[in-house]
Amino acid sequence: MKILLLALIIPALAAAPLPLGKIPPGHILLVIEPHHDDHTTDYGMGGLIARFTDAGYESWYARASNDEKDGASGYPLNDMINLRESEAATRILGMKGVYSLNWRNDYMDPIPLQELRAQLILLIRKHRPDVVLSHDPWGHYDRNPDHRKIARAVAEAVWMAGLPNVHPEHLALGLEPYRVPYLFLKARVDYGRGHHPNVAMELTKSQVERKQKAYVTHLNVYAHPSMARNIRQQLQAEKLTVPEFEGKTDEEAAVLIEEWYMDWISRKRGAENGVRYAEVYWYRDEFDYLPGLKDYISTNAVK
Amino acid sequence: MMIVLFLLFVSIASAKNVLVVTADASDFILAAGGSISAMVAGGDRAILVRVTNDDKDSWRLPPEETASRTKAEVEQAAKILGITQVHSLGYRADELGGVSPTEIRDRILFYIRLLKPDVLFIPNPYAEYDEVLDRFYTGLAAEEARQAAALPNFQLPFAKAGLQPHVTRELYYYAQPFDPRRREAESTATFTPQPKVVGIAPTFDKKLRAAQALKTINYSMAMRIRRRLEDTGRKLPLLETADDAAVNKLVEINVRKLAEIAARDSPYKQAEEFMYAGPEFQVPQKLR
Repeated sequence: MKILLLALIIPALAAAPLPLGKIPPGHILLVIEPHHDDHTTDYGMGGLIARFTDAGYESWYARASNDEKDGASGYPLNDMINLRESEAATRILGMKGVYSLNWRNDYMDPIPLQELRAQLILLIRKHRPDVVLSHDPWGHYDRNPDHRKIARAVAEAVWMAGLPNVHPEHLALGLEPYRVPYLFLKARVDYGRGHHPNVAMELTKSQVERKQKAYVTHLNVYAHPSMARNIRQQLQAEKLTVPEFEGKTDEEAAVLIEEWYMDWISRKRGAENGVRYAEVYWYRDEFDYLPGLKDYISTNAVK
Repeated sequence: MMIVLFLLFVSIASAKNVLVVTADASDFILAAGGSISAMVAGGDRAILVRVTNDDKDSWRLPPEETASRTKAEVEQAAKILGITQVHSLGYRADELGGVSPTEIRDRILFYIRLLKPDVLFIPNPYAEYDEVLDRFYTGLAAEEARQAAALPNFQLPFAKAGLQPHVTRELYYYAQPFDPRRREAESTATFTPQPKVVGIAPTFDKKLRAAQALKTINYSMAMRIRRRLEDTGRKLPLLETADDAAVNKLVEINVRKLAEIAARDSPYKQAEEFMYAGPEFQVPQKLR
């Protein structure tokens, strides 16, 4: 009986939905990620960026690495193709432009943290984003050195940009100190204790569709025709067919499979949180950095 | 008379050396000030090692003046808590990511061997969602320093200068309550700190006065809150005149709330929360 009760209780606890988040007040979004495709992976951001666009936000994408290793075309060509695809994908999501910081792909571990952070502080002071979306430095088991580096640099840059004694040379350019009030962080939720999301962001079908399209724009790394070819061979061996593949090239079928994957993961996160589509994040509100004061400020601040 | 002298001797003999390691000036006060003050009130001796110079955190003051004022203020704050010495290592604030972790470790190791603490307070490097990474770097270095200070093959020249290996038996990891999983018990392996909540009602006032002594940092915090609210068409009546009284009140609200958060689910009304590893955790379970 106890086992039966536990069997009922444990999944119920595990499935407790996250609170649904809102788009914070503001109009500028800065997405800071290590790679060309991180803005629209299976574990985050493409749908939320589209939602920010729908809410009237102007958004910018900063990719820290040159992505030279992503793809089969060799270092310099990969860099060029990935940048081009990144620009196309971000346009689909309604973003204004892409900054490439061009650090060497997958070699970011030994680069000077302060130098990377200084670049981000400059971008933050230039654009004064109300929201930064980035990688979660506290996500566990992330094997990618670029993810770890950018996450750590962002964690400091978002508040250090607000201190005038940090890079005072920026002030000579007419830039003012500025602290980023709102932060959304993502990481894989399927790695060990993994990422610890505290909010689910509901998405519409249209936002998921833009996420799907943005994702498959990265043809240099996703939607390989060989993937569809392998799946077709397996289906054939089991005497199965998928009607949607009929009349499509391997590349078109691969794009379709990737779009289904994006739809599936968005539905899965939605179902876990009581809505049709969603993405999940660690969200930091404007005064969360003052745990002893945030309630007081929220209760006592007046217009 | 003999009894009084005997009790005094016992008290002095059992007094502990407490070494507090902090990254920035306010860290140790906000997260551990009440507990440190209570130890001092109980007869222990406390000493502070401050890793950064806090040169960034002010409102419209240059870095040099910020560092200078904050140094004086943290010394005043430490005095209020009963800390007898403050050793400032002088690293530039928010730049520890570019400093060799081994260098920071060995500087803390030096003080551990010099002062021979029984108790060590360090920032918890495993506390998540604290964006001030100075605390992370300092915590890692201090944790490693505690371990290395006990081993004779670390820093051989120190031994030649008379600084012998030293084992610190009690370790408190402190942090502000950013991490939602901070109360989760760790596994039960050999050396594994566990959650510990310490009541601080008797020393709360000293902790508050120590926090209020950091005038440069506090004024900066108040003005940054005010600026953010103004930029978004809001205001906090308390900060309309950001004078000493208003800033002190803001600090009081902050310190009281932090004590209340730490006391949740505990028998205390005001508390501080730690991950704690005492002498018992250094004996492997299988050997107990």
